[in-house]
Amino acid sequence: MENDAIVALSTPPGESGIAVVRISGSSAVRILDAMAPGAQLAPSRTLSLVTLSDGSGEPIDEALVAVMRAPASYTGEDMVEISCHGSMQVVSDLIGEIVRLGARLATPGEFTKRAFLNGKLDLAQAEAVVDLISAETKLQRKVALEQLGGALSRKVRALEEVLLGELALIEASIDFSEEDLPGYSPRDTLEAARKARTAIAALLESEIAGERLRRGIRVTILGGPNVGKSSLYNTLLGEERAIVSPIAGTTRDILRERIHVGGFTCRLEDTAGIAQTRCEIEAKGIEIARAAALEADIVLFVVDGSDEITNETRNEISRIDPDKLLCVLNKSDLEPRYSRDDACERLGARDMIAVSALKREGLESLRAWIFDKTVKRSAGDLDRERIAVNARQAAALREADEALDRLSAAIEIGAHAEILSVETRCALDALGAITGRSMSEALLETIFAKFCIGK
Amino acid sequence: MTNGGKLEFDIIVVGGGHAGCEAALAASRMGRETLLLTMSREHIARMPCNPAIGGLAKGQLAREVDALGGEMGLAIDETGIQFRMLNRAKGPAVWSPRAQADKKAYHRRMLKAIESADNIVLVEAEATAVLVRNGAVEGVEAAGEKRYYAPKVILALGTFPNGLMHIGEESFPGGREGEPPSCRLADQLISLGIDRGRLKTGTPARLARDSVDFSRCEEQAGDKEPSPFSFRTKQISGDQVPCHITYTNAKTHEIIRRNLGRSPLYAGRIRGIGPRYCPSIEDKVVRFSDRERHQLFLEPEGRESAEIYINGLSTSLPRDVQEEMIHSIAGLGDAAIVRYGYAIEYDYYPPHQLLPTLESRRIGGLYFAGQVNGTSGYEEAAAQGIMAGINAGRSLAGKSPLILGRHEAYIGVLVDDLVTKEIDEPYRMFTSRAEHRLVLRQDNADERLFRHGVRCNLLPRVLWEEMIAKRKRVAGARRFIERHALSADECSRILASKGQGSVSFPLKVSQLLQRPGISIKDIESSLPAGSLGLEPREKESLEIGIKYDGYIRRQKKLAERMLQIERVRIPPDFSYEIEALSAEARLKLEKFRPITLAQASRLSGVRSSDLSILMIHLGKRERGERGNAGRGRAV
Repeated sequence: MENDAIVALSTPPGESGIAVVRISGSSAVRILDAMAPGAQLAPSRTLSLVTLSDGSGEPIDEALVAVMRAPASYTGEDMVEISCHGSMQVVSDLIGEIVRLGARLATPGEFTKRAFLNGKLDLAQAEAVVDLISAETKLQRKVALEQLGGALSRKVRALEEVLLGELALIEASIDFSEEDLPGYSPRDTLEAARKARTAIAALLESEIAGERLRRGIRVTILGGPNVGKSSLYNTLLGEERAIVSPIAGTTRDILRERIHVGGFTCRLEDTAGIAQTRCEIEAKGIEIARAAALEADIVLFVVDGSDEITNETRNEISRIDPDKLLCVLNKSDLEPRYSRDDACERLGARDMIAVSALKREGLESLRAWIFDKTVKRSAGDLDRERIAVNARQAAALREADEALDRLSAAIEIGAHAEILSVETRCALDALGAITGRSMSEALLETIFAKFCIGK
Repeated sequence: MTNGGKLEFDIIVVGGGHAGCEAALAASRMGRETLLLTMSREHIARMPCNPAIGGLAKGQLAREVDALGGEMGLAIDETGIQFRMLNRAKGPAVWSPRAQADKKAYHRRMLKAIESADNIVLVEAEATAVLVRNGAVEGVEAAGEKRYYAPKVILALGTFPNGLMHIGEESFPGGREGEPPSCRLADQLISLGIDRGRLKTGTPARLARDSVDFSRCEEQAGDKEPSPFSFRTKQISGDQVPCHITYTNAKTHEIIRRNLGRSPLYAGRIRGIGPRYCPSIEDKVVRFSDRERHQLFLEPEGRESAEIYINGLSTSLPRDVQEEMIHSIAGLGDAAIVRYGYAIEYDYYPPHQLLPTLESRRIGGLYFAGQVNGTSGYEEAAAQGIMAGINAGRSLAGKSPLILGRHEAYIGVLVDDLVTKEIDEPYRMFTSRAEHRLVLRQDNADERLFRHGVRCNLLPRVLWEEMIAKRKRVAGARRFIERHALSADECSRILASKGQGSVSFPLKVSQLLQRPGISIKDIESSLPAGSLGLEPREKESLEIGIKYDGYIRRQKKLAERMLQIERVRIPPDFSYEIEALSAEARLKLEKFRPITLAQASRLSGVRSSDLSILMIHLGKRERGERGNAGRGRAV
């Protein structure tokens, strides 16, 4: 049987060594081919190492991939299992791409459902899955409850109301055309669709938190020369990447690497030391550093804790948005020059953490601070589960948007009401995936509430 | 039929309304000795409410009843006095035929069909009890303690069970205008453990035709080329009679408001729930108080009939108020009321107690069809009647039941809704109830259902063969127009003739046809002569197929999640004592006992997680029974 492809992360969400993403459905292999064009795949049920790329050819990850042809798979359909690196970034990019290629996110228990339908489920699995689903459902209900009062939910419900209102008009014009109802104007639906699309675009845009988490939080290390920026950078990376030398200005350009903080990706940037200089190249480096700090989500301003805090340093710090600033007092292994309070005062900083990049001390507090400041706050206390929900919501919103686009086109060419109904229902069906509301029940209610029906 | 003085039949049908007639005729055509019990032969196929067959969504139902081999379509084609195809301004998926009926002629036509049927015995008597032994039906007892025996009994009692009529302050028992209710049978059904509910419906007053001033009303004529209901009718003959339209006004509304206290509805004496889509005029005036007027249709009750039905003015206000209100309406100033409008409350038997064959879950061999199941409308009733008749007949022959899918027929939607949804108002069909609306059209009911009609022996095989030949011709023509292109100039000329912009590239004929407003008629002269070779109806079918192409696929996708789980059955004795199920889902599942997972999914309060859990437990159970890993059981 033809089956639309579904995709899901089948390892627990969050940071892990390896994450397994599964696709099931008749187009699963086609989707894999699109992400790994020309790759030589091993025979069915054997692992191959392939590079998976997105639509623009940008690599997402290098992954171990197994293809299982129907019926010899868990679900009994064609399946692709991708073992990728276990960062949320990679997983989210990967799933996003798979959805773009035509799969949809699986509902809880859907793989099992298909396995069952295809007669592939054994008793032990079945019992395990029941437990899992009920657990998953509890979590989802919690999330749904939390979001009930949330802005997204409210906005989507408002959209639903508008579209349901239009659908009621469309349906009434079909089912009650003999009644003396006010005439139905497709132009009004066109306008409603336009507004709804604007709202959806805004919603997709307002998903900055989710988006930021997907592209990675930008953390820039700034500070004077020789305060240990590159040491901190390397320590945070856990390996030597930047050239560390006692000569000021060694780092002229920006060095970038990805690190993981609490399961989320950060793009860590090391910059040139800021100092008075006549050297053009150095000046250029400083300019780049300041620009980077301006665009960063987080600026770690590194100061040598054993050294004097100068006015230049204080001035430099005052240029940074205090909301994203953390002063890092490095070299805590040496005798500190000031007490903590004094240091804060002199730096004009709200917050400060003492670390020793050399001895790897204070790094946990630093990571925790970054996590609190970015992940927690920007995503509004998003826990890991809710990011998955948000990815689903975004997919649903895009699906609704496409349906509304088709609806508008249909109105433009003067299509009949029953066609407009199909497209409007598609849009509502997509939004229903966010709010969990079934449209068919609501529809007749709306029609009867709106019109005096009945001869 | 008599066996040692015992009156024995294969199937007994109780009630001679639209459900009962179709049930009896289907049974007799399947070769079954059938008894039709009715209080009076004069009541066969009466139309107690509006004098019309068909209408939006109902027209599709009537066409489906016909395509299964029912009688309704043939009867209305012969006795209709005005035919209209509704929704012509919209796409063909939502076109619905409707005809004004000559009530008396329709009754006579249906009576003739019953009387001339081979195996039907028509008996005039009131059924008073269903005879049950060991959980299965064995016959019916009629007034006078006369007993009739049969292994299958179909109850098509209409609004008769405990019928209570209301006009103003008066209430009196009655099944219909001038007919007594059926109370003994109703009470006996309760004693058999069948749950009942209470519904309400109503009808407007009838006017003397010659007392109406039609010159003050708008005229509504029938179609110039009437389309028949039946696939077996070649042509509709006879002149068409017009209907008329008038409106209520501020004065009418004022009279109603002033007298609301005397309405049994507003005085609280009616407890049954009425339909939202067919409110009484008092309801309309109260609920839509900003409306300045409500539209009324004046429909003749027959070609020669002296009575006019006021469609839109259903009421149970007292007689003097009805007089005053009617006289305030344009054209009705001097109207003489022949019969007053009334409301009727009646028992129905919530159909979640039925299997999708319309057989009782509690009492084997006992079927329910029509208004007793909480539906409204002649077409809804006829559809259930024919299905009950077919399934009773097939069951006797040891054949598999005929259960139509939601994607297959409005009848499928109807029956599925009945057995899985809570009926809290009289159930009427709407096209919006069908998630496969673009496929369930009045024009292709033959393609969808002839095979069932033929298989059940209700239709001659030759009809099916003709339909297949037609389908082949249409498919051939479709292949041609999907390949054949017209030059850009030719396309532009055709488009321009419809006021549409030109194209700079050649288009395939099928692409051109997909544009709204372009039909085969516009293109035909540009095609090689005889390249299509189709009858007008076949051309229509070809065009519809092309126009809906992508949309049908999209609609299918919307509904496809259902289709798959439609095949997974839930055993009737399945235990819902499953901890992981939500409490609400468990409650609903136990009450409705869905037959398939898809039906379970349509119950409100059953979530997708509940479904997954159910499915797994179903799988567990099945394996436990068979002792090995197998496939999901298919229907």
